Amino acid sequence: MTWVLFIPELYCLLMAIAFFGLSMAARPNPRRDYLVALFLTSVGVVVALASVRLEGTLFFEAYRVDLFSQVFKFLLVAGLFLVVCLCTELSGIEERHHPEFYLFLTTCTLGMMLLVSSVELLTIYIALELSSYSLYILVPLRRGHGSDVEAGIKYLMVGAAASAVMLFGLSYLFGITHTTYVAEIIKVLPGVIHTPAAILGLLLTLCGFFFKLAVFPFHFWAPDVYQGAANQVTAYIATASKVAAVAILMRMVALSGGTSVYLVNVLVALSICSMTLGNLVAIVQKDMKRLLAYSSISHAGYVLIGILSMTQTGYASAIFYALAYLIMNLSCFLVVVKVAEDGSDLKIAQLAGLHRRSPLLAMALMLAIFGLAGIPPTIGFTGKFLVFAAAVERGYLGLVILAMVNATISLYYYILVVKAAYLLEPDEEPARLVVTTPTKVLTAVLVTVMVVMGVYPHHFLEVARAAARALM
Amino acid sequence: MSVEFAGFPFLTAILFSCLAALLVILFIPDERKMLVKWVSLVFSGITLLLCLCVYVLYDRNLGGLQFVEKVLWVKSMGIYYFNAADGFSVPMLLLTGIVLFTGVLTMWELETRVKEFFAFTFLLVAGVFGVFMAMDLFFLFVWYDVSLFPMYPLIAIWGSTRKEYGAMKLTLYLLAGSALILPGILYLYVKAGLNTFDVTALMRPGVFTPFQQKFAFLLFYLGFGILAGVWPFHTWSPVGHVAAPTAVSMIHAGVLMKLGAFGVLRVGIFLCPEGWQYWAELMALLATCGIVYGAFVGLAQTDLKYVIGYSSVSHMGIVGLGLATVTVDGMNGAVFQMFAHGVMTALFFSSVGYIYDRTHTKMIPELGGLSKIMPVASGYFIVAALAGIGVPCLASFWAELLVFIASFKVYPVRGTLAICALVVSALFMLRVVQRTFYGEKNERFAHLQDVPFRLGLPRMILVSVIVLFGLYPSLMLDVVQTAAVPLINGLPR
Repeated sequence: MTWVLFIPELYCLLMAIAFFGLSMAARPNPRRDYLVALFLTSVGVVVALASVRLEGTLFFEAYRVDLFSQVFKFLLVAGLFLVVCLCTELSGIEERHHPEFYLFLTTCTLGMMLLVSSVELLTIYIALELSSYSLYILVPLRRGHGSDVEAGIKYLMVGAAASAVMLFGLSYLFGITHTTYVAEIIKVLPGVIHTPAAILGLLLTLCGFFFKLAVFPFHFWAPDVYQGAANQVTAYIATASKVAAVAILMRMVALSGGTSVYLVNVLVALSICSMTLGNLVAIVQKDMKRLLAYSSISHAGYVLIGILSMTQTGYASAIFYALAYLIMNLSCFLVVVKVAEDGSDLKIAQLAGLHRRSPLLAMALMLAIFGLAGIPPTIGFTGKFLVFAAAVERGYLGLVILAMVNATISLYYYILVVKAAYLLEPDEEPARLVVTTPTKVLTAVLVTVMVVMGVYPHHFLEVARAAARALM
Repeated sequence: MSVEFAGFPFLTAILFSCLAALLVILFIPDERKMLVKWVSLVFSGITLLLCLCVYVLYDRNLGGLQFVEKVLWVKSMGIYYFNAADGFSVPMLLLTGIVLFTGVLTMWELETRVKEFFAFTFLLVAGVFGVFMAMDLFFLFVWYDVSLFPMYPLIAIWGSTRKEYGAMKLTLYLLAGSALILPGILYLYVKAGLNTFDVTALMRPGVFTPFQQKFAFLLFYLGFGILAGVWPFHTWSPVGHVAAPTAVSMIHAGVLMKLGAFGVLRVGIFLCPEGWQYWAELMALLATCGIVYGAFVGLAQTDLKYVIGYSSVSHMGIVGLGLATVTVDGMNGAVFQMFAHGVMTALFFSSVGYIYDRTHTKMIPELGGLSKIMPVASGYFIVAALAGIGVPCLASFWAELLVFIASFKVYPVRGTLAICALVVSALFMLRVVQRTFYGEKNERFAHLQDVPFRLGLPRMILVSVIVLFGLYPSLMLDVVQTAAVPLINGLPR
């Protein structure tokens, strides 16, 4: 009964078909679309959770289901569910396009789920493209905006270029190892990792995933796409898409067997550049989504620190970090979506007086922002702590000190956001935000998870370690 | 899961009482300001009582770690929820309890955003308590950062005089300090190879090589030293103190700066004793610079709060000098000075806060003759000033005496310089007192009322603590001694 292994993906496909059916309805009905999406994705979370312990291979060994992939699938579906939760007022997208919006979110998630399980180069490529193309469509779907088209084209161009580079790298890998199976490559590649061709092939391949994660120098799309896309789409790109990129990056870096000094050096350099560039440019941002875009570039650098340790603790810490990042960013976007009710871009100054308009949202924002800055007792701190511990274990103390300096720099612009929410007074008194009970519950859950997982990371850390063991 | 508790968990109860206060306050509606204040008062009272219990019940004959609470927290990383009190932390817990309680009383007249103010305050204080009692490096760091970040909103929202600048500067400086501490902690964790963050396991002799100790100690000294106001990293401190609202200044100068010195002690000195001995010369040098510099800069200030801010830099230098002597007397004096300075500065800021609330100025030239208008309020300030100078019968006298005796033996030149600076600081304190409280009465303020009993209560508590420990220094020294003697005797020679 091997098809049981494929249930989460099949379920996702069914969801996509259901939305496809909805998109052919005669009259748009946003409320119905939202409720259907909410129901289907919540069932999806349950399905993904139920299949966490499955193990096996499918499709002539090209597709592996193990704890590593299943944990990430759960994170992806949970991310999708939480993003759908933000869609109560999907005012950034025209009503008749709502079913398509959900459809492409689902296909994108499907692509990413395939991606984290693929252990064959071509399967990886196809899964990656499935998720990318869905996003290429989602970005310009925004209502009545000029910038969305520009963002969409930029995203497509950079993405296509990254894909091409990646394919080129894949051809090298195939040329050296004469196989497209990851399991075979991992046997051959560490032996020849010191040859220039192997390093080049692996690095070029990684470029495709660097693009997804917005690592320097593939970060150019991030600020424009974050700003240009509808808020919910940005929330999705900033969370689920990043989680998938972390997963596949780990899988590919693990190919090297952890012995290549060149690869580590390149990753260290990219990590430092990403952190520094992201943090420095974020300081001058006025738009909340652009700020989060640059912060995501710097966070890509932090995640890389865990990945480049290339040990089990390193990978486990990166998995933990991915979860932390997902939760913190979703909390930020929750606030962005709720404050910018009309679906417009949110200036940081527009957060003024948030502490009176909605104390709960202000608190959630503060916790999430301090979490991104790596301040305890939040999950963001624990993530950084684990990542840094793994790196120090491998002797990268200098890198960790640089990363901590960077975290201090980032604190400046994060505090400016908190200042806007708690300190600045708006020119004219805006109305109190109407926060519905479901939103309150969602916020409370996110806040609780952020604090509890930050203080007591034991259980998820054990899961992450087991998942990392499956990877090696 | 291994759980180890010795009797009633006083230390957890202290933390719990702060966090419970925080939660209760979060669920009170904004408009019920009096209710928030009463809840804060009750919880801070309970906290103070618990601290007093710990202080009284600490067995002075037994010494060592008492009130041990140990629970395995994260197995794979070797993180323990491990609280304990020793001769160094017991006085600090008491100090925090006193400053919290008097701080809440001092802010009784607060009217803007009351709920948030007390919520942040309790979060901050929970962090402070956590650092003083944590014997696990992970928790120590977590609590340390928890105690720092609420400072930003506390200063930026309720502060005065360039508050946003002061708040930002303070937060960035202090968290830059923790950017050195975390790599230091991880470095020791990895180098020990014991897979534990337990301080008692890591402090065993022979766990770290001399080089590792020297390297790590430097990270800790600089990282925590920023918070302790070590010259030349002190510049955030006067600016931050001036900008902060009264209770926050009290907690900040009274307790938070001690956190830095305590961090150097608990993490730096406990884990890297050889590093401590190696860098002691440098510590003494920087401390002396701080003492002299603080005294002279204080001389030129015209803002009451700046005066106190710079005198804090000078007084914290005495703590640093005491630690740098590597002697029992020095350690005793340093910890006693932390306590004495904490209570004294709290009294300073508390009395300035009262004056500022009434006169809306803290510029010395604009005041003048205040003792004729509010004799009691002036009295509190003058007591604090006398304590700052180190007048006998007041707590800081003993502390400074011990430190100077010790430093005289070890560093004669620097010790002499520090004592000379003390004369300068006496000069500027007395000048401030003379200009602010004596001389021509300023008619502008003639209508103002003196401190009523209700508002005077916190200041009275602080004054009596200063006098009590000034008359019976052994009350404090007996406790500190239990930790200082074994520490010095255990040093590798």
